[in-house]
Amino acid sequence: MSKEYTVTYTAENTYENWVDDAFWQFLIIPEENETQDLVSIDFTNSIHAINQFSINGYGFNTIRLHTRKKFKEISFKATFKIIKSFQDNTRTPSTPSMEEYSRLASTTDFKVDFEKYLRETRLTSIPNSKTGLFEFIPSLSIYENLLALNNWTYIYLQYTAGVTDVNTTLDEIIDKKHGVCQDFTHLFCAISKLNGIPARYVSGYLNHESGFFGDSQMHAWAETYIPSLGWVGFDPTNNIVADHNHIKVSHGKDYDDCSPLKGVIYTQGSNKTSHSVSVVSQQKAAQQ
Amino acid sequence: MTNIKNQIFSSYQKNPDLYDEIYDDEGKVKAVYQKLFDIYGGHSIQDYVNLNSKAKSSFFNQGITFQVYGEDNVQEKIFPFDLFPRIIDYDEWEIIEKGSIQRSKALNLFLWDIYHDKNILRENIVPLELITSSVNYLDQMNGIDPPGGIYNHISGTDIIKHKDGKYYVLEDNIRCPSGVSYVICNRTALKRALFGVFNHYKTHTVTNYAENLLDLLESVKPKGVDIPNCVVITPGMYNSAFYEHSYLAKTMGVELVEGRDLFVENDFVYMKTIQGPEKVDVIYRRIDDSFLDPLEFRPDSALGVPGLFSAYKKGNVTLANAPGTGVADDKAVYTYMPEIIRYYLGEEPILNNVHTYHCSRPSELEYVLDNIKDLVIKPVDEAGGYGISIGDSLSKEEIEKVRKQIKECPRKYVAQPIMSLSVHPTYIDKSESFEQRHVDLRTFTILGEDKQFVLKGGLTRVALKKGNLIVNSSQGGGSKDTWVLKK
Repeated sequence: MSKEYTVTYTAENTYENWVDDAFWQFLIIPEENETQDLVSIDFTNSIHAINQFSINGYGFNTIRLHTRKKFKEISFKATFKIIKSFQDNTRTPSTPSMEEYSRLASTTDFKVDFEKYLRETRLTSIPNSKTGLFEFIPSLSIYENLLALNNWTYIYLQYTAGVTDVNTTLDEIIDKKHGVCQDFTHLFCAISKLNGIPARYVSGYLNHESGFFGDSQMHAWAETYIPSLGWVGFDPTNNIVADHNHIKVSHGKDYDDCSPLKGVIYTQGSNKTSHSVSVVSQQKAAQQ
Repeated sequence: MTNIKNQIFSSYQKNPDLYDEIYDDEGKVKAVYQKLFDIYGGHSIQDYVNLNSKAKSSFFNQGITFQVYGEDNVQEKIFPFDLFPRIIDYDEWEIIEKGSIQRSKALNLFLWDIYHDKNILRENIVPLELITSSVNYLDQMNGIDPPGGIYNHISGTDIIKHKDGKYYVLEDNIRCPSGVSYVICNRTALKRALFGVFNHYKTHTVTNYAENLLDLLESVKPKGVDIPNCVVITPGMYNSAFYEHSYLAKTMGVELVEGRDLFVENDFVYMKTIQGPEKVDVIYRRIDDSFLDPLEFRPDSALGVPGLFSAYKKGNVTLANAPGTGVADDKAVYTYMPEIIRYYLGEEPILNNVHTYHCSRPSELEYVLDNIKDLVIKPVDEAGGYGISIGDSLSKEEIEKVRKQIKECPRKYVAQPIMSLSVHPTYIDKSESFEQRHVDLRTFTILGEDKQFVLKGGLTRVALKKGNLIVNSSQGGGSKDTWVLKK
C-alpha cells in the first residue's frame, strides 16, 4: 500500500531593523528511506536568495540560504511531495524479553555501536530523584515494555502548547506534567535510555487528518533500537506506533541535533518568527 | 681567571634536592655548558641588567605580547625572556624527537580509530566512557576521512626532566598548541643581544618551522586541487596568541583571516577580497572546535564560518588540526598513552608517562582523596594551567575545598605525583643575579602522510616565581632560547 502526501512548510521572519547579512539552514526535507520516496521539492523565498542543498554534520539534507541584499522581512515556503509505503499489519511483533535483551546490551560491542543513543544529553537527562517514574517489567518483551512506556508517557503528560520551549529540562517537565511533542519525546527517550534501550529523537511531519495531537508545526517522536526489528518509531504524544501518518525528516540525540531552522543573522533589535506546516494526503490505490 | 669567570654565578645557590641542568651531581659545570659558562662568566652583572632591559623592550616594540584571561585590567604583557639559553645535546635530543614523533603518530591512529571502527574501545583497552564523556568528542566526526588520514597535524608535547634525569611527558596538546613563535623570536632576541655565543656551538636553526608548516598544509590539500590556497584563521586580535597567528601567516606568506572574512557557498569556502571571492582550500585554524561553525556547533559563535563543517565533511576544504582532536588531549586519555602506543605501533613508549590516578575509578579516587598533599590535581579538560592544585602548597582549608570539588565530579579530575621539574640558572630581575628556576620543554611536531618533523629547539618555559612548578605563560612563566646541538 502507499499514500501520497503534500507537505507545505512556511516560515515568516520580521526584523525590527535592516538585516545586512544572513545565513539560514532548514532541516525540513523528508528523508528518503525504505518507506519514504521523495518525489519533488519546491523551495522559494521572498527575496530570491539562491537555495543551496547541503548535508549537515549528521548526514541529513538541508537547504541553506545566504542573503546579501538588505531586508526587514523574509518568508520561506517549501513544498514536498512524498510517497509513503506501508503494510497493513497490526500484529504485535515478537521481540526478546528484557532479560534476554540485557545480556546482549551488556556486551562492549553493543555499547560501542549504540553509545550515541544511550548517552544522556542536556534534554534527555532525568535527575536521580525522578528515575523511578516508570519501571520496565523484566518478564515482558522489549516491544511490550516500550508500548507500555508510550502509553504511560501519553497519560503522564498533558498536551499543552506554549508552556515549554526548546530549553525546558525534563526536571521541570516531569514536575509540571505538561508539554508538547518534543517534551513527550524527550521523556520517552530518557526513560528508554535509562533502561538500556537506545533511543533517538525524530523530527518530521504528522498527518493530522485523523485528529492527532501536534498542531500545525513540525512533529517529534522517538525511535528505539530493538534487536530483530531495528529502529522502531513510537509516538508518545498520540500513544501510537509511528506509521504511515509519520513523515520523517531527521533523527538525533535530542532536539538540538534536529532543530528545523537555524540562522546566523547580522542585525540588531528584535525579531518575530512564525512557522506553519500542513500535510495533505491523497490515498492511492494499492500499487502491487 | 677562574674567579672572574665565576663572578656572575658566585651567588648561585644549588639546592641538592633538585636536578640542575647545567651542574652535575658533584657541582661541576657539565661539559656541554662549559663554553657558554665561560663566555657568560666574562660579563659583569651590570652587562646583564642592560642586555636584559634591551631584550625586553625589543619584544614590546615588535608587539610580541599576550594577554592573561580572567584579570580585571587586561594588559598586554611580554612573555619574559631569559638570556641564558638551555642546551640539549644531540643524543638527548634524539630521544625527545623520536618520542615526540611516536606519540603524534600513535595519537593520530587513535583518533582515526575512535572516529571509525573504535577497535581500541571494543577491546576495552581504553574505556568507552572516557571518550564519549569528553566534551571534545564530536559525534559529527564519525566516519569522516580527513585528507591524508591526518588529524593532529600539529602537536605540542610538554616534556620535563625529573630528578632521576629522565624525560617525562606531562601532556600532549593537539588542539591548537601555541608557543612556536616564541621559539623563533627567542632565538632572534638572543642573537641580537649576544651574537658571539653562537660562534662556539653548532646549533640547529629554528627558522625553518614556517616552511615545514606550509609544506604540510599544502600536502593535505583536498582532492583535485592543484596548488592549494592556504590561510590562517584567528579568533582576532583579542586572543592571547594573536601575535603568533599573525607571525605564522606572515612567515608562511599566506593570508591571516577572521571568520567574517570567509563564507561558504555550495559547500566551498571563499575568502572575500577586493578582487572578488577567492576559493580557500586549507585552513590552519587557531579557533576552537566549538566556535568553528555556528550551524553545527555553538550557535552563538561569531568567530566561525556558517557552513564550514559541511564543506569540510564533503572534502572541499581541509582543517588543521581536524575537528574533534581534543578528545585525545584530554588529560584522562593521556594516562592511557603507553597502551595507545603499544596498541597502534607495537612499540614501547620512548618517552615516559607520569603515573596518573583516575578519580573516576573508585579505588584510585580513595587514594587521591587521602593523599591530596602529595599530589598534583588537574581538571581533565582545561588548558593553560588553569584549575591545577599542587598538594604540598595548599592550606588545610584549600585541601578540603579540592576534596569537595573532586567528590562532586570525579570524572573531571586526575592526579599525579608531584614531579620535580629540573632547574636551570635563570637571570632574575629583582635580585639581579642568577637563580635556579624550574623549566619544562614544549616540542612542536608536524605530522603529514609522508612527513614527520620536530622543530629542533622547542620552547623551554621557566617558572619565574621561586619554587613554582607551573610554567605556563598565563601563570607568570617566562621562556628561554633552546639550543639543540648538531652531531
